[in-house]
Amino acid sequence: MQTKIGKALVIGGGIGGIRSALDLAEFGYGVTLIERTPHIGGILSQLDYQFPTNRCGMCKMLPLVERDASSQFCLRKGLFHENIDIRLSTELASVEGEPGQFKVTLRQEKNPVNPELCIGCGKCVEVCPVDTADAFNAGLSTRKAIYLPVPHNIPNTYRIDTGVCTQCGACQDACPTGAIQLLDEGRITFNILVVDDELIVRDSLKEWLEVEGGFQVSMAESGPEALEHIKTHGCQLMLLDIKMPGMDGVEVLQKAKELFPDLPVVMMTAYATVETAVEAMKIGALDYLIKPFDPDALIPKVIQIYQNLSTPVGPELEVGAIVMSGGTSYYNPAEGKDTYGYGSLPDVVTSIEFERLLSGTGPSGGKLVRPSDGRPITRIAWLQCIGSRDTQSDADFCSTICCMYAIKEAMVARERAARDGAQLDTSIYYMDMRTFGKSFQRYRDRSEASGVAFKRGRVHSVVPDPSGEDLQLRWVATDGTVATDHADLVVLSVGQRPAEGAQALTDMLGIERNPWGFVQTEAFSLTRTARTGIVASGAFAGLKDISESVIQASAAALAASQTIHGAGGSIGLKDCPKTIYDDVARQLPRILVAICTCNNAVTKGLDQAALVHRLQNDPAVKQVHFLDHTCTAEGWQQLEDLIKKHRPNRVLIGACLPYVYTRKLKQLGRDVALDPRLMEVVDIRSASLQPEASDNPTAAGIERILTMGIARLRHASPNPVPTVPVFQRALVVGGGIAGMTAALSIADHGFEVDLIEQSDQLGGNLHWLHHLIDGQEIEPLLTETRDRVNHHPQIDVHLTTRIVAAFGQAGTFYSTIEDGDGQARQLTHGAAILATGGSEAATTAYGFGNSDRIITQKMLEAQLHDGAIDPKALKTVVMIQCVDSREEPRNYCSRVCCPTTLKHALALKNANPDLRIVVFYRDMMATGFMETYFTQARKAGVTFIPYTLDGKPEVAVGATGDQRLMVTAHEPFLDRPVEISADRVVLATGIVPSLPQDLVQAYGVDQDEDAFFQEAESKWRPVDALKEGVFACGICHSPRNIGESIATAEAAAERALRIIASERVASGSIIAGVHESLCALCERCIEACPYDARMLDPDGERIVVNPVMCQGCGACAAVCPNDAAYVEGFDADQVMEVIDAALN
Amino acid sequence: MENFEPVIVAFVCNWCTYTAADLAGTSRLSYPKNVRLIRVMCTGMVDPQYVIKALLEGADGVLVSGCHPGDCHYINGNYKARRRIKLLKEILPQFGFEPERLRLTWIGASDGIQFAEIMRELVTELKELGPSQAKLKMVV
Repeated sequence: MQTKIGKALVIGGGIGGIRSALDLAEFGYGVTLIERTPHIGGILSQLDYQFPTNRCGMCKMLPLVERDASSQFCLRKGLFHENIDIRLSTELASVEGEPGQFKVTLRQEKNPVNPELCIGCGKCVEVCPVDTADAFNAGLSTRKAIYLPVPHNIPNTYRIDTGVCTQCGACQDACPTGAIQLLDEGRITFNILVVDDELIVRDSLKEWLEVEGGFQVSMAESGPEALEHIKTHGCQLMLLDIKMPGMDGVEVLQKAKELFPDLPVVMMTAYATVETAVEAMKIGALDYLIKPFDPDALIPKVIQIYQNLSTPVGPELEVGAIVMSGGTSYYNPAEGKDTYGYGSLPDVVTSIEFERLLSGTGPSGGKLVRPSDGRPITRIAWLQCIGSRDTQSDADFCSTICCMYAIKEAMVARERAARDGAQLDTSIYYMDMRTFGKSFQRYRDRSEASGVAFKRGRVHSVVPDPSGEDLQLRWVATDGTVATDHADLVVLSVGQRPAEGAQALTDMLGIERNPWGFVQTEAFSLTRTARTGIVASGAFAGLKDISESVIQASAAALAASQTIHGAGGSIGLKDCPKTIYDDVARQLPRILVAICTCNNAVTKGLDQAALVHRLQNDPAVKQVHFLDHTCTAEGWQQLEDLIKKHRPNRVLIGACLPYVYTRKLKQLGRDVALDPRLMEVVDIRSASLQPEASDNPTAAGIERILTMGIARLRHASPNPVPTVPVFQRALVVGGGIAGMTAALSIADHGFEVDLIEQSDQLGGNLHWLHHLIDGQEIEPLLTETRDRVNHHPQIDVHLTTRIVAAFGQAGTFYSTIEDGDGQARQLTHGAAILATGGSEAATTAYGFGNSDRIITQKMLEAQLHDGAIDPKALKTVVMIQCVDSREEPRNYCSRVCCPTTLKHALALKNANPDLRIVVFYRDMMATGFMETYFTQARKAGVTFIPYTLDGKPEVAVGATGDQRLMVTAHEPFLDRPVEISADRVVLATGIVPSLPQDLVQAYGVDQDEDAFFQEAESKWRPVDALKEGVFACGICHSPRNIGESIATAEAAAERALRIIASERVASGSIIAGVHESLCALCERCIEACPYDARMLDPDGERIVVNPVMCQGCGACAAVCPNDAAYVEGFDADQVMEVIDAALN
Repeated sequence: MENFEPVIVAFVCNWCTYTAADLAGTSRLSYPKNVRLIRVMCTGMVDPQYVIKALLEGADGVLVSGCHPGDCHYINGNYKARRRIKLLKEILPQFGFEPERLRLTWIGASDGIQFAEIMRELVTELKELGPSQAKLKMVV
């Protein structure tokens, strides 16, 4: 793994943070990834299923090259990477400095459980008397005060929820390793001053905080008394009432701050004066508490404040750039005015609660049962737009994710019911189904075909049915009819909100927020903020699904990387520790077996001498040792000493939780100069927990697991991991905004780029686009980008040039280009980015071509710009959405048409408020913050009439002299036909890609069924081709607007940079090979390889494997009739011996 | 026969089922420990000879378990396994094994409970089927 001096800080360990961190780490930068909670994975640790597969697949985000640098197991379990330092339960405390040289201070929350000592035995849980809502299961189940934050995560040390812990000490007594230190000495001496004029408030607070919180409490009944107290006695925290006679709380706060500027003060306020409390925070108050107090909420909050204050800050790091990836939070319907009974009806749940109901690790183990009584669920209703598209809940935006997750939840629930042979009705109540992304519409169609009912309308209320059996939904359909439906589970599709802590973080970093509290980014950029070097990743800047978050995360990594590179961070570390392992390739196996007795818990009753004797019957086993705790630092040191003493060339460790050792083994390998691939941890503890039916169950089980491990290790290969040379140059096809951005992004890192454009100028679609819906001018973006490209010393622009042929693989591609004069030449490059763009679709629908008054949105854009159209001269304009779109054969949403229609409708209305505009639409795709323009358009008087595929509007050109256009359609609200006489009919025809098939084939990648670029994985590898080394961006990838296209371009550039960053790139140690003496050249393996990593070398008459493309899946080995194809680490001989050992 | 405890060899994929098995273990779910897990990178690398070898060496049942369709870390390895297991079931009787002794399942990473359930199910089924007679009959 190449290591550079550049460093980055990534804040937030959700999917976006992971992607950004991995991208930066794979480029060679050192990354510190901090996460507020005790686990990584963010919201995805709670979500088991994602569309379109309705499964997971997160592991596909792991590195494909240099695989050994990172963990190679389920990403939901955890992540390791050599260049990433993951710090959990850690927040940013402060930031200073300039881009390229930020000084950041971190603060790690301390917990009474010492992770170094905790062995995860769970004895503490058995004795804990406290039950509290389990946040992991969205409150649907309970857990103890000592708990595992995520059951399947590693590191899986227990932790104590100090907010609810009663400090009874039971866990401390039960812990076999003394890992728990409950007594917090600090609290007894932590002096809290309670200032309130009401005696009852003072007294009850004193009692709660002293008895239940364990703090020292003083009291004052007025401002002057409080000030006197802090002058004479001091205090560490002041709880200060706002409304007091004489000197009020705000005045006390001011005076106290003059005396002691660092004194933490928490305001206490009645609900009516919350605004004053918010004002008080601006002059230095830490937080506020609202009366009347609930001790269950108050005490944890004070404990939290105490912990934050008492946790020492540190360490301090120097980083070149900061990536904010705090994610989002979700609307809590209990906060709203209209909650559909949420909170009082147990069978009304949020979508996140429903995800937990579906999950195998959820409260019902994945069984579809009602939370209220555990009976099977037969009818589920999803209510869309809860906390979205709702000005009453201050959300004049669309959360963009809810439509798709509701469909997915319905599909997964139906699959689950089908598996269990149960009947399930699923209905989605919606306003617009916003299936705006690639493949979304077909997914919706698929769900509809499978039986999901889509009901357009608004649900008015959810009440218990009088029978008490289920819930009653009253709703109004689009034609105004009121209906009553029944469901036994109602799922509220809750929208996104700014992440918890987003305000504090952005304030600290000095980053602007948009009106809804999300990060404000720069024009045309989804990631860059007003402060260079501080970028937004994932959904932190608002309203994104997984795929967009992942794209944005890579784009953020690119932006961060540009800053780091600019500050000199790309220089390789001179003293980069390159580990030299002992060469043991030609030695016979000498295995050291270390068995963790887990303080005699595992090996109780085991005849150790007999076990040693039997193991040593195998001549390869040289030593067998028993250690008390290999998981502790002390035990590990003993192991290291043993290895150094005996110098084995293989090490087998029998312990528990093999996953935990992944990183430790790497370090151990470096310390003892033994390749970690020659060391293995096997789980012997599971065997000891549940005896089998044999005479000496534990001994037999443990011995078998050890012999299986020995069999594997005996064959473990110490061969060096193969590498391939890399031609450190990139090729970008397409000179539109995406292609130019991608070229600049790579060139800014000092690598040379060939930019191929078939036309005679750069700029693509930007030439005919003039301004964005928010008024932003596009021309400066075009000019500035084009100038930068033309003057960049690292970019070679080839105009009127096309690719005629290409071949090659990641690291080395050869592309033949042909210029306008027919001159051909060959270019060599390590990675390719396709950015060939697209255009407005042509149409013959709605009489297009019969009249020059029937135009497309693109024509309208031009006519508005050049004055060919005068809005003041028009009376009526009809706009029709989804022309030839979202139905076969072009069954996808082009995403930009609805915003374009809104832009033009608003522009026309602005120029002529009397102009009548009617928009015929199917579902208005005003996603994200675009919703606010939809609201504006309706306010401005634009009429929106929905139509369905079987009731499309019809356009007739009048035969008489003025040739007026007549639009006839069915008006669903009136439930009658309408005729509209129009001056113009404007068609939104959508985007078609221009991605030539021969180009795609030349690079060995695929098109999807709509001729867009086929990404490897829409969620986890959204800009990669399946074939490593080829990437795509812009609208040949998928329909998107300028900012989104730029984000894909930056993401594609970042992905390409990982490959061309070094002179050679390594694969992983688990990789396929060929025993050439056995190979019959039948070529079955070539066909079986899903990555096209194998090919026939005609000269040498042999099969060769490209080590960078091979992922080690072993498909080749399984089809090979001669065992000539093999996978390192899973050789047939080895597996056979393991099977033998398993059955002995 | 009453005390017959079938021995199961399970080829589990590194990404999904192995994780589920680990989760079942760390969640302390009770399931019969008759199963001997052999981790492979993908069910698509399970060579038919491994299955036959395990049965010949005395396993009463063989489980191959990986990621759900569409979920494979290696794109389509599980589909390959599905085809292969179907064929294997056809030819197992020629080796003297009941096809029921071989089973293919999909167990996702968070399906620890399902892993335990399938193990219980499998043990029950194999108990009904009785010990594998093949090893006694065949000379290998």
